[in-house]
Amino acid sequence: MLSDKALNEIHLIKSKYQDSRSCLLPSLYVVQKENGWISPAAMETVGELLSVPDATVKGVATFYSMFRREAMGRHLIQLCTNVACMIMGAERLVDILRDKYGLQPNGTSADGRFSLVIMECIGACDAAPAMLVDADLHGNINENTIMATLDKYA
Amino acid sequence: MITVTINGKQIKIEKAVTVLDAARIAGIKIPTLCHHDLLESFGGCRLCLVEVEKLPRLQTACTMYITDGMVVQTETERVVEARKAMLEFLLINHALDCPYCDKAGECDLQDLVMKYGPSSGRFAEGKRKHPESYDDPIIVRNMERCISCTRCVRMCDKVQGASAISMVNRTSKTFVEPFSGGRYNCEYCGNCLTVCPVGAIMSRLHKHTYRPWYIEKNVDTICSFCGVGCTVTAQVRGNSIIRVIPEIGKGVNKGLLCNRGRFGYDYINSGGRLTSPLIRKNGVLEAATWSEAIAYVAGRLQDVKDKSGGSAIAGIASARCTNEDNYVFQKFMRAAIGSNSIDSAAAFAFAPAQKYFESIFGQGVTANPISGIAKADGVFVIGGDPTSVNPVLGLQIRAAAQKKVPVITVGYTPGLRNFSTHSILPAPFAETSLLAAIVSELSRIKSPDVIKSAFGEIIRSIQPVSSEDAQNACGIPADEIRGCADALAGMTNPAIIIGRDIILRSDGHTNLLLLAALMQLINGRIYLASEQPNERGIIDMGCVPDSLPGGRPIAVDSFRKRYEEFIGSPIPSSQGLGLMEIIAAAHSGQVKALYVMGENIAFNVPDHSYVKEALEALDFLVLQDSFMTETARMADVVLPTLSWAEKEGSFTNLEGRMQHLQKVVDGQGIDDWSALAEISTLLGVEMHYKGVKDVMAEIARVSPLHKGITYEDMEGGQCMWPYKGEPLRHDLVLPGIDMPDVKSMLRKPGKDMVYIGVDKPLFHSGSLSRNSQALSSISSKPFARIGGGLAGRLSLADGDYVTISTSAGSLDMPVMLFADMPENLVLVPNNFEGAGVYKILAWKMNENIKTPAFDSIEASLKKIERITAEGSA
Ligand code: SF4
Ligand code: SF4
Ligand code: SF4
Ligand code: FES
Ligand code: FES
Repeated sequence: MLSDKALNEIHLIKSKYQDSRSCLLPSLYVVQKENGWISPAAMETVGELLSVPDATVKGVATFYSMFRREAMGRHLIQLCTNVACMIMGAERLVDILRDKYGLQPNGTSADGRFSLVIMECIGACDAAPAMLVDADLHGNINENTIMATLDKYA
Repeated sequence: MITVTINGKQIKIEKAVTVLDAARIAGIKIPTLCHHDLLESFGGCRLCLVEVEKLPRLQTACTMYITDGMVVQTETERVVEARKAMLEFLLINHALDCPYCDKAGECDLQDLVMKYGPSSGRFAEGKRKHPESYDDPIIVRNMERCISCTRCVRMCDKVQGASAISMVNRTSKTFVEPFSGGRYNCEYCGNCLTVCPVGAIMSRLHKHTYRPWYIEKNVDTICSFCGVGCTVTAQVRGNSIIRVIPEIGKGVNKGLLCNRGRFGYDYINSGGRLTSPLIRKNGVLEAATWSEAIAYVAGRLQDVKDKSGGSAIAGIASARCTNEDNYVFQKFMRAAIGSNSIDSAAAFAFAPAQKYFESIFGQGVTANPISGIAKADGVFVIGGDPTSVNPVLGLQIRAAAQKKVPVITVGYTPGLRNFSTHSILPAPFAETSLLAAIVSELSRIKSPDVIKSAFGEIIRSIQPVSSEDAQNACGIPADEIRGCADALAGMTNPAIIIGRDIILRSDGHTNLLLLAALMQLINGRIYLASEQPNERGIIDMGCVPDSLPGGRPIAVDSFRKRYEEFIGSPIPSSQGLGLMEIIAAAHSGQVKALYVMGENIAFNVPDHSYVKEALEALDFLVLQDSFMTETARMADVVLPTLSWAEKEGSFTNLEGRMQHLQKVVDGQGIDDWSALAEISTLLGVEMHYKGVKDVMAEIARVSPLHKGITYEDMEGGQCMWPYKGEPLRHDLVLPGIDMPDVKSMLRKPGKDMVYIGVDKPLFHSGSLSRNSQALSSISSKPFARIGGGLAGRLSLADGDYVTISTSAGSLDMPVMLFADMPENLVLVPNNFEGAGVYKILAWKMNENIKTPAFDSIEASLKKIERITAEGSA
């Protein structure tokens, strides 16, 4: 379920903290990087690895909205539609994603390439409208550039 | 001294407490929601906001500590406004369904909204929706009512230690859920529902039948399931118990309970209750009148006595019965029957262990307050999982572990898996070598001063066993053994918790010797796990073959004479037969009649077919019980007796605390002691007790240990050993040393051979709890626990059926896999009708402590193909 690489990463994290609960967030992040989301089975694995009760893992994994709890496409687009980005035309970008990729907010494209999540301010208002693709921030995007940006993500 | 002024009232307090506690001392109530006395302060709900002079913002009284000169106002306009606002927030999501909610009338939120308002909310967003969850058999969840106070989660995490639930999601979408999202699959202690301030987690047992104002009386009594003796409050309407709850701060349990104590009370209303005396006529049990049955029993016993003498009659009492019942039982057996062959199921482990330790260290050495475990600076657990035998005692071990003290567990103890610092899993039945090596290491580490006593001589003469030799015998690496000895050596007031599995074996007495040595070496306090509520009491009352009430040895003439004088009739002077000897003597025809009080011996004594033969060989078997049990079906006469909650009396718990069992409801049948008194009178030894108080008064006169005790003394839970009496002056009886050759200990079972052990499930208690619908709804069928290795070898998966056979018979049941079980071991419970592991345990007698030994049983496991869980072929 988790690759040896991911397991090793979690073991490394364990060696850095005294309290196993402190390892929870970084370990969940490893899982998400590997699988794109955090499945119940992955929560159990992490609980087992860290000796943290499953229910506690679930509590943490559901608290942070950047942890995904549904299967995601290969790449995750987190598009901001909060005030600054909205004024700068983010709503039109949502339409484009729907038209060009069949992407609905909280949905995944049919080819499994992209998932879209609408965000509330990702702290990049100075470059509005802005989106995150996986861990990369893209600011000052518009109708003309967004497709080219996304083309880089296979 | 810290001086604070709260609402103009000046108070002085020794040490810094929270403003909330200070206000309490001043008699001022500050409202709270997330705070609970069983939990640490949290500061989440902000209902306890108060104004503190010189501080600009309002402060939470539950987390703020007082300082000298502090001036606090708890009900200013500003405070009241803030509370109102907090409540308005809480009501955004809270379903206002009080008329339908069982909590109404004792709901903190309802009370606070009534007091502080608001009368209506301004949020128009609509409330979140959650269907009421009936995923669990005994708990119902309604998360629309949850106010996210986190009390349940903190209870489950920090106190119960089960960590089964957690707050999921965030902000207004937060609620409480187990990992599965559906069923809790937890320990079902119900302690989360004790602390839920609203109707979000509740008991299903009284769903829609409970309202606080329905309750006509609250009766404090003692749980009837195990030797911890938790205090419970039974809430009664008419003649039925509506619910059983703990009371915060009261009893040994201080407000906590386990699943059995909280939910198991319904067994008294089971359909299996006996209602009329039964006499076997032409092979069939037929209803009879009380006077007929009593006269018949007296007549038949007299016949046996006349023909074969009193010693041909034996008695088996029960630690589920009260001290009063058991006192009268031994008096009846000794005086009216003329037999000292009296024993009980306490003889399996509790009684021989207590006797062994008392013979070395003196009477009362095992009488240690349970609350001391959480305060210990180390815990050593052996012989079974205390969290399932004595769950609330188990919580003390978990509490100790939360303080990061070393917790050493020897053997399979799943309930302490996340709490032990040293989890040692020796090969089955090879613990002796481990204990011997630990004792040898400690003798080396500890200064000779700690073993200067006479017993120290014995310790010194124990043949040292090296950790390497022990490693060969028990499979635990020598370094780990030494690490464990080092951890033990560092403890100054440790608790040693001993369960029955270490005693029921051919080297059980050696294990007791080594544990006594361990206790001496590390200055430990011993706790004996106790499966029934009155195991200690039954010994104190003299329901043992060799001693009288107060633990006075029958062989000492002066004690016996004194007792004879008190009761006004002679008693036999020779030691009687113990439990297993009674069964064997019945089998051989030497014992001809057996009087059983409240014990299901046909099920709870190992090797069912042997026991059955023994009971069939009897001329006369009489049973007093509340239920139609396996034993009742074989009896010649069955006398229905009152059950827990229907009778008054006392229990003595495992720490030696005498507690008052109160009558809660009326029942059918009579008191055990009163049936015995009537028969005794017919046999010529008059007993005329007007009530149970008379029996207690006699105990208080006769037993030197229980001098002058009354039920009033037991109120408040302070009636502790040695009461007001005289403990027995103690003559050191030094045990002989009988060390087995450790090197020969590792027994390798042949291919397909496995060791078999008794599983003690959390949700059941002997053969009694099967009468509880509530407990059966959590766990209704037996399963065998096996480990990964065995499962792999036999290609078994969860739910596969196996035949488990020994020389004594076989059982079919499904298996469940537990990865951390020892290799080659299968654990089977002895709780479910027709499927008790005792059926197939062909024991050998350990003559040293007269207990059955289960270590030489060869068992085999075979997968049953083609049978599915539904049982269709
Ligand atoms: S019943 Fe006990 S174990 Fe289960 S969730 Fe509640 S507190 Fe935890
Ligand atoms: S279920 Fe009850 S105790 Fe638990 S968080 Fe909700 S309101 Fe508090
Ligand atoms: S720990 Fe024992 S006495 Fe306490 S509630 Fe549970 S079964 Fe009853
Ligand atoms: S509003 Fe879009 S990044 Fe802040
Ligand atoms: S009781 Fe103080 S914040 Fe909840």
